[in-house]
Amino acid sequence: MISLQSVSKLYNEGRPNEVQALRDIDLEIAPRAVTVFKGPSGSGKTTLLSIVGCMARPSTGRVFVDGQMVSGLPEKFLTEQRRTTFGFVFQRFNLIRGLSVLENVMLPAVPLGPDHAALRRRALDRLEQLGLGAKADMKVEYLSGGETQRAAIARALINDARILIADEPTANLDTELTHRFLEIVAALRDEGRTVIMTSHDPRIWEADMVNAVIEMQDGRISGAFA
Amino acid sequence: MKPAAGLRRSSVVFALIGALALMLALEVAHAAWRAPAEARRIAASAGLVRSLGLTDLALFTEARYARHPALADLHSAFQDNPMSFEHFPSGSFVPLPHALPASALGFSADEVSR
Amino acid sequence: MTPFLRRQRALADYTLAALARRRGKNLALVVIFSVIVFVVASAMLFSAALQREADLVLAEAPELIVQQLVLGRQDLIAETEIAKLTAIRGVTAAKGRLWGYFYDRISGANYTVMVPDDPAMMPEPGTVAVGEGIPRARGFTFAQAPLFLSRWPGELQKFAVARTFDSDSALVSSDLVLMAESDFRRFFEVPPGVYTDIAVSIRNPREIATIVEKATRAMPAARFVTRDDIARTYQKLFSWREGLLVALAGAAILAFAIFAAEKASGLSAEEAREIGVLKAIGWDSSDVIAMKLWEGALIAIGAFLIGTVAAYLHVFGTGAALFAPVLKGWSVIYPDFRLAPQIDGMQLTALFLITVVPYVAATLVPIWRAASADPDQIMR
Ligand SMILES: Nc1ncnc2c1ncn2[C@@H]1O[C@H](COP(=O)(O)OP(=O)(O)O)[C@@H](O)[C@H]1O
Ligand SMILES: [Mg+2]
Repeated sequence: MISLQSVSKLYNEGRPNEVQALRDIDLEIAPRAVTVFKGPSGSGKTTLLSIVGCMARPSTGRVFVDGQMVSGLPEKFLTEQRRTTFGFVFQRFNLIRGLSVLENVMLPAVPLGPDHAALRRRALDRLEQLGLGAKADMKVEYLSGGETQRAAIARALINDARILIADEPTANLDTELTHRFLEIVAALRDEGRTVIMTSHDPRIWEADMVNAVIEMQDGRISGAFA
Repeated sequence: MKPAAGLRRSSVVFALIGALALMLALEVAHAAWRAPAEARRIAASAGLVRSLGLTDLALFTEARYARHPALADLHSAFQDNPMSFEHFPSGSFVPLPHALPASALGFSADEVSR
Repeated sequence: MTPFLRRQRALADYTLAALARRRGKNLALVVIFSVIVFVVASAMLFSAALQREADLVLAEAPELIVQQLVLGRQDLIAETEIAKLTAIRGVTAAKGRLWGYFYDRISGANYTVMVPDDPAMMPEPGTVAVGEGIPRARGFTFAQAPLFLSRWPGELQKFAVARTFDSDSALVSSDLVLMAESDFRRFFEVPPGVYTDIAVSIRNPREIATIVEKATRAMPAARFVTRDDIARTYQKLFSWREGLLVALAGAAILAFAIFAAEKASGLSAEEAREIGVLKAIGWDSSDVIAMKLWEGALIAIGAFLIGTVAAYLHVFGTGAALFAPVLKGWSVIYPDFRLAPQIDGMQLTALFLITVVPYVAATLVPIWRAASADPDQIMR
């Protein structure tokens, strides 16, 4: 379970271009469920995800992951959280160009020093499962939009992350691919994972498998639906 | 450098570096292995040097003052000809006079360029 | 394998995959780097080996050489001076030497003509012993070819070649022509009772200074060349010639440093972003730095090994074929010599330190900031 207590985030604090991206947020995110943040652009969804995912620190307030307070912990610990607890699917996917799909998928495991053959097996299995088995040795820049997204999901899951974070995952996908994505997400939830994503796509927050939709406006939570 | 299936890039590169290191080790071994023969050869040359009273290596035979730098006067490099192939750094900063006719050098211009 | 080693290997894999993206550029970098190491290593191996041969010559050279000076130039020295030198306490022997240079108009080469002091080396009158360079300079086609020497057009003197020194001693004997004393005096019109110079043997090398002092009083017009003077001259000569190479290598290293700095410090926006991605997916700053360390180390160590291995083959396999033209200058006779192969651990270490360490540092420094930046920028 993830909970946030009066979390605020200021960018460029104390400077003329100061921006308050989050204002006094109190929130609980249920484990083993799919939670979607919706809201207009600039409402603070991405900022919230980056704080939940230990990518950035809140300016004030506290963040707990599974009962442990992670805000204010040293960088090394946050890195470890990102490596082991969270898997990220970025808005722009951020695969490393010039490397193959397989190499990209294996990247988050590098700092852990696992057995290479076993890791490779695991990565190939995951790619197979996501229908990318044949593309494992292809360079990522040659993948289509849907394939890139699935490669990013495979990378996010390589360390068996309990919590998957996805920022606008379906922004550039057609309806069929969006459905495919939702199926994958449902399967991950059924495996016992927590999925947190943002979207301003009605196809997402109207989907049956979404457990909670949280609406944001101007850095505040303006509504929550189960 | 495209790795074949299962062959890691690091394996290829480590193998190459290992092979190079092995070659360097072989070269060190070669030098050690040659050492006794070279010592004999050098001792033979040393005998020649002693019995002839030689003072210099026969490396620079282009002019007589260059042949035995050990026995030349300190500034003999300039003694023969302003164009002499001398071995003082200062010489590199002194260009030839512009108005020097080719014949003044004592040999023709194409002999110089040769 | 421990997780630590597996992690290091995986980091190396990543850095190689990243390098392989600009394969041409990075291979060119390795090639240029290797060439620079090759030139510096060749110069180091070559001058060390040459220095060793020169040391041997100096070790066996006469302790003191006495030359007669006339108007600042060397002149023949009278036999009567020998007695003045042997009279000095501590002098074991003083011997007049007959030697000189002979410019051979036929081949355009300078020979060193000498009368050996050692009776065992003395050729029979009418014969000569020659260094290996002379048959080459004269283009002798058969083994028993006689040597004709001519001082001016129309004059010709025939000598039978009794012995040719082999190329094992080429570095000291290549241009020598040894003659009997009678032949030498007749051919070069050196009157009896004079010598080129006098070689003095001294019992105790520590007495050289006192002996030179005494000898200067007895022979005020003479010039005294001690083995120390010779060593000093040689040091100057070698350090100036080596200095030339070092200056060239220095220029090359500087050019390379600019090239490397341009490549390394101009951390592209894309590379900075990639580091952000790596950090975002759970790489620690230390992982990023270790990965970059691998990049620098693999390139630099690879280039170092290629350069040194090739330099050894160049210097001791091909006889420093690339340097020969420089040393040769305008010489007609250039000894056909092989140098004793040796690798000096200290030199190798120094070379390693001046090539590998700066390069690795140059790749690491710019990464520092990127590696410690917050990763949340890449969310957008
Ligand atoms: N690094 C930053 N510096 C300054 N302002 C920022 C920065 N990142 C985000 N913001 C601002 O914070 C607000 C929230 O942004 P974001 O979380 O990306 O919203 P959303 O994802 O809902 O579109 C926006 O007004 C945005 O301009
Ligand atoms: Mg956003």
